[in-house]
Amino acid sequence: MSDDRNREDRDPFDARADAPADAALDALFAEARDAAAGPLPVTLREALLADARRVQPLPVRVSWGARIRALLADFGGAPSLAGVGAAGLAGLWIGIAAPGPTADLVSSFWQGASGVAPGVAAWTSEGTVLDYTGAELLTLLDSETD
Amino acid sequence: MTLSPSTGSGETDPGGLSDDALLARYAEGDPSAARLLLDRLAPRVLRLAYRLLQDQAEAEDVTQEAMLRLWQIAPDWQPGGAKPSTWLHRVAANLATDRLRKRRGVALDSIPEPDDPSPGAAEGMIEADRRIALDTALGQLPDRQRVAVVLRHLEGLTNPEIGAAMGIGVEAVESLTARGKRRLAQLLAGRRDELGYER
Repeated sequence: MSDDRNREDRDPFDARADAPADAALDALFAEARDAAAGPLPVTLREALLADARRVQPLPVRVSWGARIRALLADFGGAPSLAGVGAAGLAGLWIGIAAPGPTADLVSSFWQGASGVAPGVAAWTSEGTVLDYTGAELLTLLDSETD
Repeated sequence: MTLSPSTGSGETDPGGLSDDALLARYAEGDPSAARLLLDRLAPRVLRLAYRLLQDQAEAEDVTQEAMLRLWQIAPDWQPGGAKPSTWLHRVAANLATDRLRKRRGVALDSIPEPDDPSPGAAEGMIEADRRIALDTALGQLPDRQRVAVVLRHLEGLTNPEIGAAMGIGVEAVESLTARGKRRLAQLLAGRRDELGYER
């Protein structure tokens, strides 16, 4: 009992007992480490902000060209733009030149295609294509390609 | 005085960004990043500098110089390495120890340690707060002991790091730290009630 009382009464910073003093100091150090620091003096904060503004690099301005290049990069870069451009120009030329019924274009690559790809007039007249059954179309194709 | 970080108006809340990310934003010219960073980091730097120097004006000078160096290194900062806060505290510790050397006009490690004054020298303390008591007691330590104790026990530096900052060897750091702690214990002895240690 008396030992317990002596332990309770002992000063935690008593340098004669190293272990308790160390423990108490360590507890104080831990508290001090974790504690939030007080606010900055107003004049110091203003001076720090002024320093920061003075040496801060200028904002990076992104040009429209750079933005477009970045956008294109997502789609394969400049080569992809060339392909898309060529396709667009071809479409524009076809639209302006109006080369006529597409059946003629197809038949120039595939002789006999006109039989299965009639012109607009043939489509609009009843009983021309719609009268063919699938088997008849295949037979017709075979005969044309032979 | 406004110390709470502003949220800014970007796509993400800058206040939630890491120190690394804020430093990168600062380097890109974001004006709000500097304010957020300094409100996060500078108060602790000032506290460290004051603990080391025991002089408010000098501590503010060190804080300003350390923060300026952080701004200047921002464009070259490599994220993912040392934390900006850790880097900043190292810089501040070095700046403070340099000032202590110049203050004495001789190398810090050539100063003989004074004899320990009698226990109870902290009786002049009027605050009961533990941290104030600790800071007051730290202020009563000889410079070299105070620097070693603060860097070791409050900043978490290793003994070799402290030795490098103070320009002394590791064994000297260990000796200074041990003597500093012993002296702190003497200064705080008998103050159990004031420091909140119940009987």
